Amino acid sequence: MGFCSGSTTDDHESPHKTEKRSCGTLHFISARQIEKALTMRFHGNFIICRYLSRLRNQFNSNFEFPLPNFRHRAPFFLRSYSAEVPAQLSPELLNIMEQRLSAIEYRTSCLNNFLNQPEASPSEYARANKELRKLSGSVDLIKELRAKQKEIDGLKSLMAECSEDKDMLNMATEEMGQAVEEERKLQNLLLKSLLPKDDADERDCILEVRAGTGGEEASLFAMDIFRMYEKYALEKGWKFEVVDIAQSDHKGYKSTMHWNLLLARIEFHLATDVLWTILSQEASAAIAGDGVFRKLKFESGIHRVQRVPVTEKSGRIHTSAVSVAILPQADEVDVQLKNEDLRIDTYRSGGSGGQHANTTNSAVRVTHIPTGIMITIQDERSQHMNKAKALKVLCAKLYEMERLRLRSSRSKLRLEQIGSGDRSERIRTYNFPQGRVTDHRVGITYHSVDDVMQGENLDVFIDALLLQEEMDAMATFSSSQ
Amino acid sequence: MRLTLSSVYRPYSFPTLLKSSSFSTLCRPFCSSALSSSPTCVKPQVPLFLRQPIYSTKLCELKKWHDWAKGVAFSIGSTFVDSDNGPDSSLLCRELKWLMEDAVEDHSMIVKDDDSDERVKMRVGIEELYCLWKQRVQERRPFQYVVGCEHWRDLVLSVQEGVLIPRPETELLVDFVDDVVSENEDLKRGVWADLGTGSGALAIGIGGVLGSEGRVIATDLSPVAVAVAAYNVQRYCFQDKIELREGSWFEPLKDMEGKLAGLVSNPPYIPSKDISGLQAEVGRHEPRVALDGGTDGMDALLHLCDGAALMLKPAGFFAFETNGEQQCRALVDYMENYRNGSFCNLEIRSDFAGILRFVIGFHQ
Repeated sequence: MGFCSGSTTDDHESPHKTEKRSCGTLHFISARQIEKALTMRFHGNFIICRYLSRLRNQFNSNFEFPLPNFRHRAPFFLRSYSAEVPAQLSPELLNIMEQRLSAIEYRTSCLNNFLNQPEASPSEYARANKELRKLSGSVDLIKELRAKQKEIDGLKSLMAECSEDKDMLNMATEEMGQAVEEERKLQNLLLKSLLPKDDADERDCILEVRAGTGGEEASLFAMDIFRMYEKYALEKGWKFEVVDIAQSDHKGYKSTMHWNLLLARIEFHLATDVLWTILSQEASAAIAGDGVFRKLKFESGIHRVQRVPVTEKSGRIHTSAVSVAILPQADEVDVQLKNEDLRIDTYRSGGSGGQHANTTNSAVRVTHIPTGIMITIQDERSQHMNKAKALKVLCAKLYEMERLRLRSSRSKLRLEQIGSGDRSERIRTYNFPQGRVTDHRVGITYHSVDDVMQGENLDVFIDALLLQEEMDAMATFSSSQ
Repeated sequence: MRLTLSSVYRPYSFPTLLKSSSFSTLCRPFCSSALSSSPTCVKPQVPLFLRQPIYSTKLCELKKWHDWAKGVAFSIGSTFVDSDNGPDSSLLCRELKWLMEDAVEDHSMIVKDDDSDERVKMRVGIEELYCLWKQRVQERRPFQYVVGCEHWRDLVLSVQEGVLIPRPETELLVDFVDDVVSENEDLKRGVWADLGTGSGALAIGIGGVLGSEGRVIATDLSPVAVAVAAYNVQRYCFQDKIELREGSWFEPLKDMEGKLAGLVSNPPYIPSKDISGLQAEVGRHEPRVALDGGTDGMDALLHLCDGAALMLKPAGFFAFETNGEQQCRALVDYMENYRNGSFCNLEIRSDFAGILRFVIGFHQ
């Protein structure tokens, strides 16, 4: 606790004063990240330097104070983390937040005054009430913070007055420690409440993996990527359920080539030495668990592979690409799905159907008439279950369309940050000959491509991306005063 | 024209005899001996996916079989489609994948790449796998009989020779019941009947959407069907909710006159003259008693109309599956003209292929 007992008073009278603190501060999540970095295996050692360098650069671009020297400060951060004491926010961040809180208090006061006037029109009254309700969460926290700060001021006065009374001083000091800790918690809570959130973070998701450039090698790599996520989900204790969908190319109903058939074709190709290309293959899965979308949302984008394909006879390295999309799942309430907007088709046996025909073809195609989205599911052995899966995927797609529409109306700065979710963004390269995987957004390279393909150590990238998301959110917060 | 009870029953005496004789040539010895036993001794088969994995084979031997089976499937091409609208190569390959899923205990073995001497636990011997796939392709034995089960709605139902394989179209009947009972608490608590239950599909599906007080009586003429349906009911722990009775149409339900909250049936509705032209999987292997609807395919349907008027309580619901638009319209005509005053809110509904397939309505 010693290093945390520095001055907690913001000196507003000297706004331009640059104070060199005896020890720097780090956001709570950063300490946890560093602890995690310390536990990485030997192969990960290279990452620590790159990782911390990235963190330092990130801090430098947003804060005046440099990141403290990692090797000397680690014990304090670890102790801070293990004691679960929230890290103190930087003075600059506190200052910005204070301005925001004052603005909220002022706005709340204006709204309350407005509502007390009898001349207000009903629509204005409703609008003011709505805005007031929207701010009420933050207002409650602000009131608690103000009360706590007043308590701290009182304790300071008491400590000054009773400097001669040792017992009273000890009691006041102990209470001061608790009060400062609670103040810090409230500040962190307020900061989180002020940062923009992604509503979809707690949802399950739909994973889509689609082969891109590179012909059959891209299809093979698509399968490898698909299995990588399956193994990752297994390790996380999530439920991974293959959906195996195909989107119609608007040429009418057609069968999806199943992976087994794909394997059969590849084997046939290898055996007969006939040139053969799969134009497009897609595999999908529904992933359910705790906080799935938050963890996986930055996996959307183009994954490149550099390796010698199994179909390559001259040993040349090929570069292929696979696109990954992570869609948050939505239920019919979220996207207001209406029966009249849907058309459901099943495989038409061409005859009378019913008792006339025996078929194991349980394929179902769902068409969303307003948007033209078509989804065909065929891998379940029951038509009823295929229909349920198709509706699940449709809801996810409609929800994602709505999210993207809302996102495009946000600030330019937000669009430039990581995690745009754009499926066409190049995000990662898997280099098999050199055995390394590089994430292009956070500049991290991990030197064990096999571990990554086995679903292990994906967190190296995911945790770094989540950390940067939080820093980007704070940067947005800091720049919008 | 009002059908007499005797004229309705007469068509079934011949199909019953035919069923016995046809089974002696089509079914394996187990089924024949089962049929010749008394009804209480019919023992249903255990579907493949529920059997114990007591067999063991080398992974390379399994792959060898898989390659052979795949080659057989590919060689079919569109031959079956052209002859009687049967399955094509891609559908057979998907069935092969599902057969593997049911036969192999550890599914992760299926995706292993190495052709090793590693042994795989199986629910069926490798020799029988060759036999099963030959039956599927050479004898056109339905895939559902090969693996002993059909996936239907969210259920996996045991089926075997002598029991009609539940059709995807029939899944919709449960949705109709679900829509009705969600708006009518009285029907939700009532007693429903599933006539000609076969594997018990409709009874179990409806049992799942009724409230805790709802009950289903499932009847079938065939002792094999009754035994298989009982097995399926037991697998889904619906013994307290679903009662099985053996007998012809309404005979087992005499105690329920005027008391039924709902009545559903997927009766035989194929005209007799069309039986010989059916797809091989159907015509050669499935029970004729569950398919043959008489001269115009409507013998059972008309009988169900008469019975519904007698058995349903006021505001009781019924839903029947038919051959298509012509039978639907004829059935509605019959109910409106010859059963005038018995029914209301008659409706014809389509299946997902766009064929008018179902007639639903309420007792007055």
